[in-house]
Amino acid sequence: MGTMVSLRLGAADFEHGASALASAAQTVATVFGRWDEQFSLYRKDSELSRVARGDIRLTDASDGLRDCYAVALNWRDRTQGVFTPHRADGVIDLSGVVKGLAIAEAGAALSTNGLANWSINAGGDVLVSGRPSDRFEAWESADSAMPTGHRVAAPAAVTDIPEWVVAIVDPFDRGDVIASVPLRHPLRAVATSGSAERGEHIWTALNSEPSPFRQVSVFAADIVTADVLATAIVAGGEATLNEMTDRFAIDVLAVLRDGQLLATPGLRRSE
Amino acid sequence: MRARAVALAALASVSIVGIGWQLGSQAIDASHSLALSAVRTDPAAVADAAAAAATSAASATAAAQSGTFTGSVVATRFGNMQVSVTIDASTITDITALQLTNHDGRSVQISNRAAPILRSEVLAAQSASVQNVSGATYTTDGYLQSLQSALDSAGF
Repeated sequence: MGTMVSLRLGAADFEHGASALASAAQTVATVFGRWDEQFSLYRKDSELSRVARGDIRLTDASDGLRDCYAVALNWRDRTQGVFTPHRADGVIDLSGVVKGLAIAEAGAALSTNGLANWSINAGGDVLVSGRPSDRFEAWESADSAMPTGHRVAAPAAVTDIPEWVVAIVDPFDRGDVIASVPLRHPLRAVATSGSAERGEHIWTALNSEPSPFRQVSVFAADIVTADVLATAIVAGGEATLNEMTDRFAIDVLAVLRDGQLLATPGLRRSE
Repeated sequence: MRARAVALAALASVSIVGIGWQLGSQAIDASHSLALSAVRTDPAAVADAAAAAATSAASATAAAQSGTFTGSVVATRFGNMQVSVTIDASTITDITALQLTNHDGRSVQISNRAAPILRSEVLAAQSASVQNVSGATYTTDGYLQSLQSALDSAGF
């Protein structure tokens, strides 16, 4: 996948010891390593690369790969073909679902291991569980700081209990944050897609017109949905944005080519 | 045979519709509910169900009910759901989604459409702590990835 994965544990789970973080990191790394080995198109010997080249027929591929393909086809149906597991030249490309599925599996592995408070960020796709911490009025002195720099403090008073917060960065000014959104149940996942002038390009379904959206962030209950719909909305434009917000329980923050913003009601600041 | 089977299917939906209506502010008799549900299903069922309704209930719908009826409030994970329906001579002419309030007390519109919004109006969480960043350029240039790494090191 070629991207670093960031893992955070909430204070409640971190109190199990620094080794909890290390073993959680290992769990996540193992899951991503497996997905990368099988599905990375950057690796010539991955199963997906071999299928893409035609060395293996799709019908002879592993159950795992074919299940992945089925998930992608299902999303093709649900987005009226705007999202598709095939490139314009017909070559199979599962990158639209692989990252989300890997994150989901990593999260499930953490939960299975008894960790309820964590966040995973892979390439700007974020999935969270539980909470980062309870908020404290005061910190204890520095000598109780853990070696990694995390501080564990006794609560002088617990104020409100915060949620994991994700900052959506302005695509036109990377030093600027356009939204900071708490990932509250049930929308615990967010994915952001874009149509950059250089770098990765999403084929648009708009008769080779560029996307009206420079960037689209989708907040959803699961990360695969967020990932697929962010991609589909960039590719399909305004019509797809309206269809998806009508049919799916999501929040969307879109940045137009001129810098203006569109947002669903749930992303509006309360008065 | 088919007419009876269709009428029975319409009756199954009637029992659901009937209960729902009785929980609301207006109680509608079963024969009238039958006609309503027949309107919303397929056209083939309409004629059969109408015939069944005509022969079943003693007090047939002599004066067809008209007006606006409010459904019961249904709790969902996003908040409460409530609609009202406008009926004119046994035909549904309009369904109105009522304004709802979610658990935070913010007003939640039925339409989830994305609308133009000023930067000053976009959600900015109260908590000063941001643990994760997301953006379109995350994977294309190293800036956001490095920023995330810095946040991780800082233990934010």
